[in-house]
Amino acid sequence: MAHGITRRKFLARSGLVAGAATGFAARSARAGEAPVLRVGVVTSLSGKDVLGGNLTKRGYDFWAETVNAAGGIEVAGRRVRVQMFYGDDQSTPSAGADAAERLIVQEKVDAIFGPYTSGSTIAVSPICDKYQVPMIAGSAESPNVWKRRPRYTFGMIPAVDLTAGKSIAVIVEQANPKPRSAAVVGVNEPFSKETAEGFQKGARDIKLEVARYDLIPARADLAPVVSSVASANPDIVAVGGHEEVLINFVRASKALGYRPKALIMHYGVTVPAFAEQLGKDADGTLGITVWTPDVPYRDDVFGTAAEYDQKSFKRWGTHPDYTEAACSASGLVLAAAMRKLGKLPPYSREDRQALNAAIEDTSLTTFYGPVRFAKSGDHQHCNIEPVPVLIQIRGGQQVTVGPQDAKKSDMVYPLPAWT
Amino acid sequence: MDLFLQTAINGLLIGGVFAAFSLGFQLAFGVLHVVDFAVGGWVMLGGYAGYWGSTLLGVDPFLLLPATFALFAATGYLLGPLIYRVRTTRYARPALMTLAFTFGLFLVMRGGALTVWGFDTRAVSTVVSGENIRIGPVVIPMLRLIAFLFAALLALGLFAVLYRTRLGLAIRATAQSREYAGLVGVDVKRLSAMVYALYTGLTGVAGVLMAAIYSVTPETGLRYTLFAFFVAVLAGLGSVGGVLAAALFLGVLEAMVAVYVGSSYSHLVVFATLYLVLLLSPQGILRRGAIAES
Repeated sequence: MAHGITRRKFLARSGLVAGAATGFAARSARAGEAPVLRVGVVTSLSGKDVLGGNLTKRGYDFWAETVNAAGGIEVAGRRVRVQMFYGDDQSTPSAGADAAERLIVQEKVDAIFGPYTSGSTIAVSPICDKYQVPMIAGSAESPNVWKRRPRYTFGMIPAVDLTAGKSIAVIVEQANPKPRSAAVVGVNEPFSKETAEGFQKGARDIKLEVARYDLIPARADLAPVVSSVASANPDIVAVGGHEEVLINFVRASKALGYRPKALIMHYGVTVPAFAEQLGKDADGTLGITVWTPDVPYRDDVFGTAAEYDQKSFKRWGTHPDYTEAACSASGLVLAAAMRKLGKLPPYSREDRQALNAAIEDTSLTTFYGPVRFAKSGDHQHCNIEPVPVLIQIRGGQQVTVGPQDAKKSDMVYPLPAWT
Repeated sequence: MDLFLQTAINGLLIGGVFAAFSLGFQLAFGVLHVVDFAVGGWVMLGGYAGYWGSTLLGVDPFLLLPATFALFAATGYLLGPLIYRVRTTRYARPALMTLAFTFGLFLVMRGGALTVWGFDTRAVSTVVSGENIRIGPVVIPMLRLIAFLFAALLALGLFAVLYRTRLGLAIRATAQSREYAGLVGVDVKRLSAMVYALYTGLTGVAGVLMAAIYSVTPETGLRYTLFAFFVAVLAGLGSVGGVLAAALFLGVLEAMVAVYVGSSYSHLVVFATLYLVLLLSPQGILRRGAIAES
């Protein structure tokens, strides 16, 4: 017997040894690697809502960058790094649902951060329920998101029906002489329409006469709208819309020489572009926010609200508004739930169910403020804790003017005529 | 009555600006037989040109209008032969190919604007921004008035070129028949490039006016494409003369519906009108539109 082993046996055995060695090496490498949390972000990265979409992306990214720079999220004695995956909803809800499904099925994300618009959030929500992937939405404000009672979707910002109506009451409380009438204009899309409805209900609740209520198409010519509002001569004008329509409304008002005693807009006034692009014409405009850098909250990741503001400004070159802050705080909620779960990602379906339950039980204070989600009712899974404040633009800055216990300065009322 | 007068003035003034960007669109259709989907893109880029002019150069956008016209016309002149080539291709369905080509061009413009200027809304300020003239109960916004007068001037200038110059004669001849114009010595290809240049120049200037009245974002273009198309159809496709009447009609209709019916119905009424015009008078309200060649 010249050879104890045939060529075939040699090849088979060496293949087996090589395979086992590779498998062992790969397993050893995996064991040594830092575990990774895969997070999907579905938001508007193109289309008409691209401005807001990028604000949400900034907020989410800033949280991921901050925790990764600190070594990751500490879970069960290990550091978990965060990897972000993006899905563009193209400013349309159906594309948002497709993007969410792709992130879940192809990218195998463990959790999702939600879209900029409420419309997209409503479309993405059933996808999250179907695959049992928790979604924390840092921007959605429409009450319709919560009326559907989503099981796997959570919202950081109180629904607009909780904030818009109250703001009218705060204006009346602060104003002297007391306003007696209001006109409401809203863009005819879900969030803005519900904001307008909130303003209208708020005005009626405190017995103000609603002199005009008008829903307008996005990018409509606002001169006729302003003219008809001016002819009704209300004390307060409330506008529901995003930043572009708000900028155009102020410009059209000035061009027609019309200025109400108080002009309140909801989302958009706190976006830096509003004051930057309007310059001194932005002064006097009122807005509602659930967060400013003045709020007295802190956490261990971002520090105080003022420190978050400074760090975010250093990173992006603009001061964050409440949406960016809420998006960053979404990450804090997710991290807290992971710690409570005590398991390392990737998460199985059962793990995600447990993670979802942990998010539902959140009771946390962050730089953004307190976070606690309603567990039932028409605001199920909406964070109902933050208290809305009324701000007024003065010299390009936001000044808190209400409610009484939070205000830093008196509200300018009535607004002076245009100069 | 005061509100009615104010609404009519608002509508007429904005209608004049609609005419400014629809004129070039109509001219391009008449000569090149191109329904240019990129018209809104040119308006949007014109707005950004005004924005850059005022922020980077510190010059009032109104003073930069001639330079804006030259810049956009030069770009159009370079792009014109490409459009002409697509439109006169020997392959199947050149009209459809051109539609797809200009739609692609529009997407490139929108994506490019998003990359260069980002997603923020930009407001273009001029010395007359926010100024107005008060005549009795009616307030006339100065910016809209100047834009209206400017648009009227552009329309008059265009008519002068079309009906008082040899170039205008050549343009009208080419609009009637490319083949016969070529036979009598018109360099159709060069003329097409010139018309496209005239169109992009006019539209870029209109863009500055629109951005000064409203604001500009990469997403603003589509609305103007729709309105240009509306005005062109109402005027009768290819009819330059009907543009002013159609644009003023559109402006007043939109304003009146917004005030007396409800703003949420304005687009519904506007496009229902377009539908009716196509159904009852496909040659436009003045019955001057092009008739399909058999």
